[in-house]
Amino acid sequence: MKLLRVDMNQSLVQWEPVPPVYERLGGRALIARLLLEEVPPTCDALGPKNKLIFTPGLLGGCGATAAGRLSVGAKSPLTRGAKEANAGGTAGDALGKLGIKAVVIEGRAPRGNWSILRIRGGSAELLPDGDVPGSGTYRTSDLLQEKYGATSTVISIGQAGEMCLGGAGICVTGEAGQRSNHAARGGLGAVMGSKGLKAIVIDKPVGKVVPYADEELFRTAARNFAQKLINDPKLGTKGSQHLYGTASIVAAVNEMGAFPTRNFSNGNFEGLETLRGEYLREVTLNRGGQVGTRCMPGCVIACRNVYVDTNSKPIVGTLQFETIALLGSNLGLSSLDEVAQLNRMCNDFGLDTIETGAALGVAIEAGLGKFGDFESIRRLLAQVSEGTVLGRLIGSGAVATGRVLGIRRVPAAVGQAMPGYDPRSLKGNGVTYATSPQGADHTAGNAFGARKEVNPLGTQGQKELSLKLQIIAAMLDSTGLCLFARPPIITNPQLMVDMINGRYGWGWTVEDYDRANREVLRTELEFNRLAGLTAADYRIPEYMCDEPLPPHNVTFDVPTSDMASVFEAL
Amino acid sequence: MLEISVELFGQLSPLSPRRQALDLANHATVQDAAKLLELNADEIGLITINGVQSEMQDQLTSDSRLCFFPYITGG
Repeated sequence: MKLLRVDMNQSLVQWEPVPPVYERLGGRALIARLLLEEVPPTCDALGPKNKLIFTPGLLGGCGATAAGRLSVGAKSPLTRGAKEANAGGTAGDALGKLGIKAVVIEGRAPRGNWSILRIRGGSAELLPDGDVPGSGTYRTSDLLQEKYGATSTVISIGQAGEMCLGGAGICVTGEAGQRSNHAARGGLGAVMGSKGLKAIVIDKPVGKVVPYADEELFRTAARNFAQKLINDPKLGTKGSQHLYGTASIVAAVNEMGAFPTRNFSNGNFEGLETLRGEYLREVTLNRGGQVGTRCMPGCVIACRNVYVDTNSKPIVGTLQFETIALLGSNLGLSSLDEVAQLNRMCNDFGLDTIETGAALGVAIEAGLGKFGDFESIRRLLAQVSEGTVLGRLIGSGAVATGRVLGIRRVPAAVGQAMPGYDPRSLKGNGVTYATSPQGADHTAGNAFGARKEVNPLGTQGQKELSLKLQIIAAMLDSTGLCLFARPPIITNPQLMVDMINGRYGWGWTVEDYDRANREVLRTELEFNRLAGLTAADYRIPEYMCDEPLPPHNVTFDVPTSDMASVFEAL
Repeated sequence: MLEISVELFGQLSPLSPRRQALDLANHATVQDAAKLLELNADEIGLITINGVQSEMQDQLTSDSRLCFFPYITGG
């Protein structure tokens, strides 16, 4: 495999062999190590010393189901620490098939000089970008696929990334004209914008296959893995994830009192009936939309939907749980049509719907809009692409918005907005939000659904649960595996070890593999420590420890000593 | 006797009316309610009583709102 380095200062691209230190790493593990090795931890996240890394997981391009995610990473302008966010689409698969371990974007182009990186087979070039600056991600993807081929993959930023706003994510296209798979979290779109890189175009790698050290071992394990996913009651063709998508949990999270409502002031939303996953499926199918489609080639879970308007015209794909929570109940909106429109705007501007939904909630609390009033919210959000001062503020995320507007009720930890689970009613997620080196990110260790392990409202066992989940998340993010594909690997880690050994011939044992996953967290924690993050950063906001959350009227009360000792067993 | 309210979600709801009131004997458990609704325990992924995560052996009271969810996963 090889590494592609792109020097934005000098507009140079250079291929190099993978340095030994990175050889056995992929995805999040590679990002963590590369940041620690090559990026000064205290550097300006939007400056030339930061590096933006695109990398498939270890299984990228292999054809293992649900394993084609693209990891994107850098020092985050929001958390100030190591950040990895990943997306579906075709980029992870394409890079894996091309034998590209990572694309590393370095330096910073002069302000206003925008480029596109084009990767074709074994060559790459930086091209001046005359057409797309100022465009949203939909237009950018359309224009670039028109120019470079409809089967190419486009990775792009919208206006938010161009303006280097902290809420900016990175958008990836998928199969057959699919849009809007986002590596959304942590402000990585702002880092891409700071480099002067508007988009990456990867030509479809026709006829390319990855080499296998032991193809039979790989294929047997990959087949078993896929079959176990198909048989899983959550994930198979009769499973909730396939039938209702990620929105399958809307009602459950609400019932448990953890559904963010009106800037995290309640855990129950009275307008739930028309936000539920079951309702989303019914409306989508009645209107001629799609459910049960996939975001990555060959995925057997297929939890994506295409939400359409009353004329069957697509509004957005996919409408997800986190977006329904943060742009729906959190803003007092109970109409999926309204949530979908805000979702589309965020996707087009290249904004993380979680960060932006939280920022909008804070702005409304400051009196700049009204909960439940779609038009006032739409107008606020539209200002992001217009580049007004208020728009740039909201696009900069929840913490910045709260600070400028004088609001202390900001649902964020380690500089990043909380996703769709209030930590007061789901305390395991609170532990993850406030201790993960990734900041408040449910994908770093989601405790929802850990039935029979802990009481979500209690404090006992939360730190142990969070650590276990954080190690699993590091594994998923380093192999390119989707978060939802974890059950077979948790039950039988040997499956993953066999796939990795079949691909690379490393002779790993389950113990080696476990050590590697733990090392990801250690590396990120070390980077963050060197970047200056302290216990003062790793915490749940004070108001959540004092202000009881209805309906259970609970505060976040996991002892500080537990929070401080999560990683003692790492 | 005690009367409780029940709600079924996802794939469980086509089997019975989604929302209903159930009459149960005093000291009835979640399992009793599931049996009366003819739910397959293997298809129940999450149970809540008044919003609190619960299990099959938990006892119901007359103010119980009981919810049955299929297997679901967060993310």
